[in-house]
Amino acid sequence: MSRIRRGRAPRPTPHLSTRAWAMIFGAMFLLLAGLTALQYLGAKPASTAEIWVDGVLLRTIDLSQDGEYRIESAEGWNVLSVSGGKLAVTAASCPDADCVRCGPQNSGPPIVCLPNRVSIQFSDSGGVDGAVR
Amino acid sequence: MYSLGELMKKRTLSFFFLLALLLAGCDSAMPDRAASDASVWAMDTQMDLRLYGDTDGTVMADLIAILNELDHKLSATSADSVLTALNESGRSDDEEIEFLAEQALKLWSQTDGALDITLLPVSRAWGFSTGSYRVVPAAELEALRAQVGMDKLEVSDSTAPSRAELLLSDGAMLDFGALAKGWAAERCKARMEQAKLSGILSLGGNIQTVGTKPDGSDWVVGVQDPDDPGRYVLTLRLTGSKAAVASGDYQRYFMQDGVRYCHILDPKTLSPVQGSLRSVTVVTDSGLRADGLSTALYVLGREAGTELWRKLGDFEAIWIEADGSVWITPGLQDRVAEGAYQVIEA
Repeated sequence: MSRIRRGRAPRPTPHLSTRAWAMIFGAMFLLLAGLTALQYLGAKPASTAEIWVDGVLLRTIDLSQDGEYRIESAEGWNVLSVSGGKLAVTAASCPDADCVRCGPQNSGPPIVCLPNRVSIQFSDSGGVDGAVR
Repeated sequence: MYSLGELMKKRTLSFFFLLALLLAGCDSAMPDRAASDASVWAMDTQMDLRLYGDTDGTVMADLIAILNELDHKLSATSADSVLTALNESGRSDDEEIEFLAEQALKLWSQTDGALDITLLPVSRAWGFSTGSYRVVPAAELEALRAQVGMDKLEVSDSTAPSRAELLLSDGAMLDFGALAKGWAAERCKARMEQAKLSGILSLGGNIQTVGTKPDGSDWVVGVQDPDDPGRYVLTLRLTGSKAAVASGDYQRYFMQDGVRYCHILDPKTLSPVQGSLRSVTVVTDSGLRADGLSTALYVLGREAGTELWRKLGDFEAIWIEADGSVWITPGLQDRVAEGAYQVIEA
């Protein structure tokens, strides 16, 4: 005895209009664009400062962690303080103390102490490729 | 056969996928244009180098070698430099030093003597090359004047069949401090161009851009505020290979009795420049010329510097005055990305 399958006849594949396809791919495009934008903007690394002494990278400091650091070079010393996401040179053995006068920073031009051969560079350049000084 | 609607669907699909791929892949699709960075301490300052596309590091190594070589050759403080040997013997046959001396003579002539590379004995007396700063008495300066002057520098004709030679008389001594970093930038630029690489060099604050950025955008260069080194007075958009060099009273100086004595000496007074300027920045094609002109313009002051700009016409400049006012030449007007300024009349 053969079994007779009962049911509805298969429905034809729905046919989407050109406009509907365009909307679907437009939405996909916007989604991909959004994800790519997130890749650029959302994944921004935390601000850091690189401490260079005599042309050699001494250490990288995470500016999200408060702390105090003493940098020794053959020429002298600098005391760095990180607070509230910014770094400042709070004391230095150099005669002009220009580095101290720079104040707290987390981006922009490097803080340079020429007498002690110390350069502090921020990972966030503020969109500037180079500083004329 | 596709219907018109199906074709449009396929085109739409291809278009959006292509766009999405371009957008998603643009940061990783050009590994041969990746940035590489290096820093070196040379010429008494930090030098930061960024190259695009130096995949095996060969060019970066060459640039560092150039900077170290010039540091050794042109140092006025190192006991074993080629320049020190010249200053002690009064004679050199080093072609590069002769070339630099010729360029210095040309700038000296063009700037009415504002750029003078024979001031080393005076600079030493003020303590700028030793760190033992002091205000030099007028009588001592007058005595030093016998050793100073570009007329004490003689470069034989390099086209003559005999070997070119540089001679110094009357105990004169040269200091290439106003030209060395600019020349170093030019030599580095030449090596990068030979390798068809782009990048940006900061040689102690002397900026040299080379070629174009991988994304095709302009180089963005900030001019540091002399009063607040943590900010920029102006930011400029520079296209292609340009040199931007500043001279000012805020980098190397000492204070005594409330007076600031900067390291830039006026050849006429043999004393640190005492004017209303805080800094002058020169933007031009040649790093050497930008370096020399920025010093000369700082010595001259804004008024005479403006006249020099009108006369020479081969550079752009930014003057920052002690009262905070900023003056730029008209050629920079459409290059300023951010900052307030006034424009010099052409």
